[in-house]
Amino acid sequence: MVAKTLAEALAGGGDFAEIFVEDKVSSALKLEGSKVEDVASGRDAGAGIRIIAGERSTYAYTNLLTEEGLAEAARAARAGLDRGDALIPAELMRVESGRVDRVGRRPEEVDPAEKVDALRAADDAARSAGTEVRQVVTSYMDVRQKILVASSDGRWAEDDRTRVRFAVQVIAARADQIMTGFEAPGHSGGFELLEEKPAAQLGASAAQKAIRLLDARSSPAGEFPVVLAPGTGGVLIHEACGHGLEADTLVKEASVYANRHGERLGKDIVTIVDDGSDPGAWGSFGVDDEGTPSQRTVLFDQGVLVGHMSDLRSAKKIGHPPTGNGRRQSYAHLPIVRMTNTYLLPGPDDRDSIIRSVDRGVYAATFSGGEVNPATGNFVFGMSEAYMIEGGELTYPIRGANLIGNGPQVLGVIDAVGSDFDRKEGVCGKDGQHAPVTNGMATVLLRKMTVGGTEAS
Amino acid sequence: MTELVDVARAIADRATGNEQVEAFVTHSRDFEVKAYQGQAETVSSAEPRGAGVRVLDGNKIGFAFTTALSEEGLTAVVAQARANVSFANEDDALAFSDAAAFEEVTGLMDKAQAAVALEEKVAFAVALEKATRGSDPRIRTVEEAAYSDTDTEIAIATSAGLVGGYRRTDAWCYSVAIATDGDDTQVGFEFALERGLAALDVDLVARRSAERALGVLGAAKIPSARMPVVFEPYTAGQFLGVMGGVLTAEAVQKGRSLFAGKLGEEIAAPGATLVDDGRAEGAPGAAPWDAEGTPTQRTNVIESGRLVSYLYDIPSARREHRSSTGNAARAGFKSAPGPSPSNMAFAGTGHSRTEVLAQAGRALVVQDFHGVHSGANPISGDFSVGVTGHLLEGGVVGRPVKEVTIAAPMLEILRGIVAIADDRRWLPFGGSYGGATTLVAEMTVAGL
Repeated sequence: MVAKTLAEALAGGGDFAEIFVEDKVSSALKLEGSKVEDVASGRDAGAGIRIIAGERSTYAYTNLLTEEGLAEAARAARAGLDRGDALIPAELMRVESGRVDRVGRRPEEVDPAEKVDALRAADDAARSAGTEVRQVVTSYMDVRQKILVASSDGRWAEDDRTRVRFAVQVIAARADQIMTGFEAPGHSGGFELLEEKPAAQLGASAAQKAIRLLDARSSPAGEFPVVLAPGTGGVLIHEACGHGLEADTLVKEASVYANRHGERLGKDIVTIVDDGSDPGAWGSFGVDDEGTPSQRTVLFDQGVLVGHMSDLRSAKKIGHPPTGNGRRQSYAHLPIVRMTNTYLLPGPDDRDSIIRSVDRGVYAATFSGGEVNPATGNFVFGMSEAYMIEGGELTYPIRGANLIGNGPQVLGVIDAVGSDFDRKEGVCGKDGQHAPVTNGMATVLLRKMTVGGTEAS
Repeated sequence: MTELVDVARAIADRATGNEQVEAFVTHSRDFEVKAYQGQAETVSSAEPRGAGVRVLDGNKIGFAFTTALSEEGLTAVVAQARANVSFANEDDALAFSDAAAFEEVTGLMDKAQAAVALEEKVAFAVALEKATRGSDPRIRTVEEAAYSDTDTEIAIATSAGLVGGYRRTDAWCYSVAIATDGDDTQVGFEFALERGLAALDVDLVARRSAERALGVLGAAKIPSARMPVVFEPYTAGQFLGVMGGVLTAEAVQKGRSLFAGKLGEEIAAPGATLVDDGRAEGAPGAAPWDAEGTPTQRTNVIESGRLVSYLYDIPSARREHRSSTGNAARAGFKSAPGPSPSNMAFAGTGHSRTEVLAQAGRALVVQDFHGVHSGANPISGDFSVGVTGHLLEGGVVGRPVKEVTIAAPMLEILRGIVAIADDRRWLPFGGSYGGATTLVAEMTVAGL
């Protein structure tokens, strides 16, 4: 049926045809106001067909996984293509996966009542953390996504991905102040996530953050040394370097890093990798959504720009093998170049001595995300938990503020990298598609960053 | 059209015993083409259809959806929704719409749109890319130029006899220009949204996207300071988008809104009036009824600076013994409804853009925000975002500015509104929000 669909897709000409079949089963639970608010479980299956003819890609998808349904999608995909001779697809050969998934407890075999218990445990722990706690929203999500990719150049690849994520948001209030605290770990694997990160601990931690922040004073405005906490600070690398090294922006010269290969932009302590094969990491997979095995790609080697991330299309334009970064949100989406797990590798420095080296600056403990324009390299990322550093010590919490900077320039102000490497999970949005990604780094010192607070000095 | 209403009715008719059944059915034809360097780069088409079904039994609701609209499919989805009732939470506020009739909203369709050929749409995107690139020698490339459209039919029915259906067409395009001068690179985005391709102006979108990139070439940081800020319509609409969600009664009832406990209070400048209008002609979110089948209406949220109403769907309204304001929304047939603004915008204060700029004198004019989702917290009210824009001096837009942030508590921004011009435009990003040139008395600019 797959081979027949590929032949149908190329019946009107074209250079390449591909079918992506997805079968996704998910369950999601949410507890708000100590009540189970939302129970959504579902199965979404479908297939997308892509045809490339010259410079043009055409795409159509269907959720009718029958021979007729696929043939109809194939015909829709080739509508509008210039007429040409039919291309005969090559014989299909299996692609070996870059990784084997380890799933301890299969989420679909865990009783929903046990999932609700975990939500309640987080909720209870958060509510008993302090009288200031006003609202707790806890959520649990698991998804098992099976994919098959087959293409006219003979590629046949399959993957079976299981991901679990648990999130706690706490709202605390005192007088007119309202603050929020958040924890949201996830991984590629099963329900054992909650053995490694107990729900009650996550609830208590999110609540303590929100309560601590009730004492926050206004954040300063202007340029300061900034120390980034391990894990969460990795969003800096994601925004400042990652997006600009996704090859779709490089081939369009819509990246500030275009044509800068081999250039030194940071000190020796700056080595950055993207690794879709990191076992158990939230952004990992066996093969990407075009059937390319996942791999570890070095982007910066000791401060020097050496690599990029690509999908099939951009790899062909650049003339390098694809790096396994072609990802799509679902069968309804075209694959695009995406990061997976992006890490600034640990360095030689000690966290305490990094903080001690700062006379007046900001310690950014948790981030709420970020954004970059790859063409200009200008990025921002938001601190949701931060502290002033005065005389080498953390003194008081400060309110949320964005940090702003420029990609290539910020690499040059990384003055120290700690040894306390950690990961934080997130969801990255690009071109309207969402993808699970991990950011990772140790404690890092930025010599100078603009802090977007409200207190102009 | 009648066909889709019939599907909705056939689902609702499957109610048994004391349960009530509601069906929300959609069928759309979606198309998108992106052009790059004089050619169509990607062409995507899809025809998604499906039904979302809610079964209300006592004080519990079960939800399920399906893409199989066959007789067996409809029976199966009702059975699934019925089964999900047992997992649901009890809530006495749950109910379905009991609206008797709907008043039509005009201007939802361009009847000529269905006849527009695929190649005409492809040619439009290619022309947009070319026109953007050709507008100035410093436009080095066009990162993306796209045209897309959708033709959607929506139907609702309940076992109590409510039936509604309507059809709408949307066509939109955008262009992302990249301008380079020496080492400096800047990006400009512009879009247009209409009911059909015929109403989209290629040259206008191309020219404006190029101008937005060219206008900020040579931008530099400025020193940190407290100063007046002027939001362009585009960023004013985005600011409203951050605030809109927490003006729903549900956010307030659940303690996750900075507006909780402020009903009746002066929360904005005396000249500020904020309106949500589900029937606003030409607005992206206009519809005769909302996602629960409640007739849409016009609701004043802020009147002359005073917070006078939150926005309600059926459950949040019943909790306060009042009526829904027609503010239920869905992400599609695959999701259950939830409260949301429909088309929300501040009313103008009777000034033209030129007058607002003249009144501002010296200010930072904000063309683009960066990092709104990470820097704005509508629960705590903290607002700190990166901006690109211009310095306004003597009421004249002057040198370009980049890599600075603006920050202030959100309530302070509302209280600081000095004037809102009459140049409102609708932004269809994550809802439907109207933005107009807006002068805010003072914010903190962080730069050098």
